[in-house]
This record gives sequence, C-alpha cells and structure tokens, in this order.
Amino acid sequence: MLRILLINDTPKKVGRLKAALTEAGFEVIDESGLIIDLPARVQAVRPDVILIDTESPGRDVLEQVVLVTRDLPRPIVMFTDEHDPGVMRQAIKSGVSAYIVEGIHAQRLQPILDVAMARFESDQDLRAQLHARDQQLAERKRIETAKGLLMKMKQCNEEEAYTLMRRQAMSRQQKLIQVAEQIIAMSELLG
Amino acid sequence: MNDSLTPSLAWVNGSDAPELASVDLGFMALTDSASLIVAATQGFAQPYGLHINLHRQSSWANLRDKLVSGELHAAHSLYGLVYAVQLGLAGPAKHMAVLMGLNQNGQSINLSRALQYAGVTTPDALDRRTHQSDSKLTFAQTFPTGNHALWLYYWLASQGIHPLRDVDSVVVPPPQMVEHLQAGRIDGFCVGEPWGASAVQQNLGFTLATSQAIWPDHPEKVLACSAEFAGQYPNTARALVMAVLEASRFIEESADNRRSTAQLLSAAEYVNAPVGAIESRLLGEYDDGLGNRWHDHHAIRFHGDGQVNMPWLSDGMWFMTQFRRWGLLREDPDYLGVARSVQQLGLYREAAEALGIAVPPSPMRSSQLIDGKIWDGSDPARYARSFKLHALADATLVHADR
Repeated sequence: MLRILLINDTPKKVGRLKAALTEAGFEVIDESGLIIDLPARVQAVRPDVILIDTESPGRDVLEQVVLVTRDLPRPIVMFTDEHDPGVMRQAIKSGVSAYIVEGIHAQRLQPILDVAMARFESDQDLRAQLHARDQQLAERKRIETAKGLLMKMKQCNEEEAYTLMRRQAMSRQQKLIQVAEQIIAMSELLG
Repeated sequence: MNDSLTPSLAWVNGSDAPELASVDLGFMALTDSASLIVAATQGFAQPYGLHINLHRQSSWANLRDKLVSGELHAAHSLYGLVYAVQLGLAGPAKHMAVLMGLNQNGQSINLSRALQYAGVTTPDALDRRTHQSDSKLTFAQTFPTGNHALWLYYWLASQGIHPLRDVDSVVVPPPQMVEHLQAGRIDGFCVGEPWGASAVQQNLGFTLATSQAIWPDHPEKVLACSAEFAGQYPNTARALVMAVLEASRFIEESADNRRSTAQLLSAAEYVNAPVGAIESRLLGEYDDGLGNRWHDHHAIRFHGDGQVNMPWLSDGMWFMTQFRRWGLLREDPDYLGVARSVQQLGLYREAAEALGIAVPPSPMRSSQLIDGKIWDGSDPARYARSFKLHALADATLVHADR
C-alpha cells in the first residue's frame, strides 16, 4: 500500500483530492494545509509519494519542493488549475515528477501515480550518476593539483609523483584522494 | 590531463566514454583481490570517468548470488564459479563473462598441527593415513565447484588419494578457515592467501602443498560479470579492465609497491589480516611451518606483462574438463564454444592494446601439471577422460570400464 502525503493548498476546494483518492482506493496517511515545513513532514511521515493540490503553485510552494528534492527525494505529483506553461516549467524544474492540470478524476489517479513513480526513479538514477561524475571530476582535479605540487617539491616527473603519492596512500591504508588533500593542505600551510 | 599514465584517453571524451559513472564491484577478503582494491582506491579508474565502489562479500555463494541478480556489476571471481554459473551447475544458469585474469598462483593446501604431530607431514604419509585408517579426514574448500575444490581434488588424485571417496569435503568461506582448523572441525583446507600463511604464523597448521606446485602459473581469480552487463555497458567494462590492468602493472613495478600493497590489503575493510601474514607470500617468501623456507619462483603474480591478465581460452576450458572428470557434468560440453562465449578476448584485446600491453597471438597456452600431464586446450574431451582417478558418470564410460 502506498503511503501518501497529501498537501492541500486550496482553501476554497478543501477535500477534492482526498475524496478522489478515497474513491480510487488509496489511503492518505497524512494531510496538511499550507506547506511551510514540507521537509520536516516528509521526514516524520516517510511517504512513498507526495501529492500537492494547489490552485496555483507560488514561489514558496516550489521552494519547499526544491528542499524535499534535495534532501529527501520523493515522487511529487502536483494537481493544479494553473495553465501557465512558465509556472509548469518552474514546477518541473523544482523537482515535481508529474504536473496535472486537467482536474482530478478518481479513475485516472492510478496511472498518474504509476507514471510519476517511474519518472522519479529514472530521475534519481540520472541524478546519482551525475553526482558520481561530478564528485569524480572534482577528486581528479585535486589529485592533479597535488601531483603538480609534489613534482615541484620533489623535482620529479609525473609518473614518479603518482607512484610516491600512491605508495604513501597505500602504506597508510588510505585512498589516493586523501593523500592528495594532505599534500595540498601541507603546501598551503608552508606557503 | 594525466597523459603519461593514460596514453589512450582519446575515446573518453567521445562516444566510447563509460555508460555508467560508477560500478559496484564485489570481492572476497583475499590477497588476490589486490589489483581491484588498488584500482578502486588509488585513482586508477578516475581518468576514465569511472568510480569503483568496493563491496566485500562474506562467502563465494553470497558473491555469486549478487553477481547473478545484478546487485553487483562485476566481481573478483573464481574461474570455477563463473563456469559453474554458465553451465547451470551452481543454481540457475546465467550467461557469464570473464573480462580478464586477476592473478596466477598463491593458493595452498594446509593441514592441522594434530596431523603434523601424528607424523602426517608428507604426501606419502597422508596417502597411508587416508587408506589405512577407518576415520576419514575432512578437508575444507571454498565453493562446491570452485578452484579450491579442484586444486584439492587434483593434488589428492595426483598422490593416489581419491578426493570423493577417500576423504570428506566441506565448504568454508576463506576468512573462516583458520578458525575452523583451530576448533578441530576440519583436518586441512585449500584456500587463497593470506589464510594459509596465517595458519602457519599462528602455529595452527602447516602448508603441505602450494597451488603453484600443482600447476606453475595456474589460472586463479578473474574479473567477471554477466554477459548481459558486458553487452549492455561495453565501454564501462573496457574502462574497468583498463583501470585494473594499470593497477596490476603498478603492483608489480617494484618490491616497494608490493609491500605497500600488502599494507593496504591488511586494512580492516579489505582483507583484515596482519600485514605480516599478507606480505611474505605476496613477496614470494614461503615458510611451510615445518622448518622449510624458500623463495617461490611461481608466487602470486598479478600482471606478468599481460600473461596473467589474458583471458586464455585454454584456462577457461580446463575448469570444464575438471567438472567433467569429477562427474559434475554428465556429458562433454562444447568446451571451445562455451569458452569462446565466456572469455571476453575482444574486449580484453582493446583494453590491453590501448595500454601498450602485449596480447599473445594464440588464445591457448600449454602447461605441464604435477602429474606430468600436458594441458594445451587441444583435445579437452580426451583430456577429461585421461585421468586414472576420476568420477566420470556416464553410460559410455561405465561400459568402457568393464
């Protein structure tokens, strides 16, 4: 059973999404009104999916979405009356997995949630791969920097510098990046 | 750019870049996992845009399950494990790929102090003990169809001891061998280092035979993945092979590099054993625990100018001949066809050539084993039937025996 966190940001039509969810056989584990503390609610409730019902997603709503996407990523489905493509783009960019404008029909909820979950999973894979690539590139740059410093200090060539760094790392049971950081720190200290 | 160490980066920025930014790599706590641990921690994969996540496994069965399910992308593997999965001898069959050899040599058969005190310190004495006593000895190996079972069987048979009739065998994960020996639950074991040296240094046992005495420069661990992974992510697989090849070459560049490799391996998250137990045999210095010390000319090696890393077809086929010999295969497989599909010669060639590592012209090599037999891959079916001691199980053979 999906754990659904429902955010109702539509004071005029309270309950329209909950009614549709109940009709479609879903169970809402938590429901709240204005979102000012979405990350905290997600942390407390640990939902599988977050549904946001809003007339028009304002900047503060999207900010909350960004925070969740960064810290506690979950599939987020936004139901709204806002047709403006600019707002839609903003919402997707903030981390919304599905943006639904055409009202809420109980029979359409299941496929919408399925698509949102699948979309979320593939986004997460991509994000993880990108993160790994970024981190890897950053490490590589630090190692290059340390190698350059060592070549200057020891008056040695590139290959010798790598070998020295690796031997040092291995005999201390460390990774190459750790020794590179130590060389850079030491060099900064000695000016 | 680190051009001098990685002369072949041209493809990294083009369409040949690895499809994955990181790979999950499994290993067992053994000295022969060295090139993988060095590659992962010492920045050898970075120039290819690849990050290696190491995952230590508690047993070969565990590692096999995760490799088959895809939870691990690739792993430190036993030849005998890869071919058993390929042929469906160890659970459901799955098409497998051997990307490269990781090491040759460096395993050993060790017996308990109790046997030593009973005078069982030579092959002849062991032969007498197994044939003249009522109680069977129990030997441990590491995986039912694994290399250590096959080294143990081969060695026992070469001494006239039938490994399936004259002794009992049990499976124990490598890091637990010494403990089981100490507890008296087993009389001996066949395993990769440092666990043999560890038993000797703790004065719990002695080394009766090294695996290189059975077959000098024998194939041992490989870098394996599923055929599906190799097919789906060829650039990732090639980058991984290149990183591990460079790490293998680095380890063998000097005695200092070997020594620091031993230091790294001894860490709690890798082999988790005293550096003394790892370093001696990694440097080829053997002490059998009976007062004999020697420098072994066929000690563990990781590169050998590419001789170690080449995924020889004859190496892959040999394991199938032993499955056949001991009745694990009820009929001859298509030895050459299966080896060709598993051993990733094309991918290995690309990686090795890009690094200037010589690739032997023939995918077969010739060796003489402890019983005097020559194995060169030329007639595997006949070779499998040529042993005096065996457990061949098929109708034609039972008939021929009469």
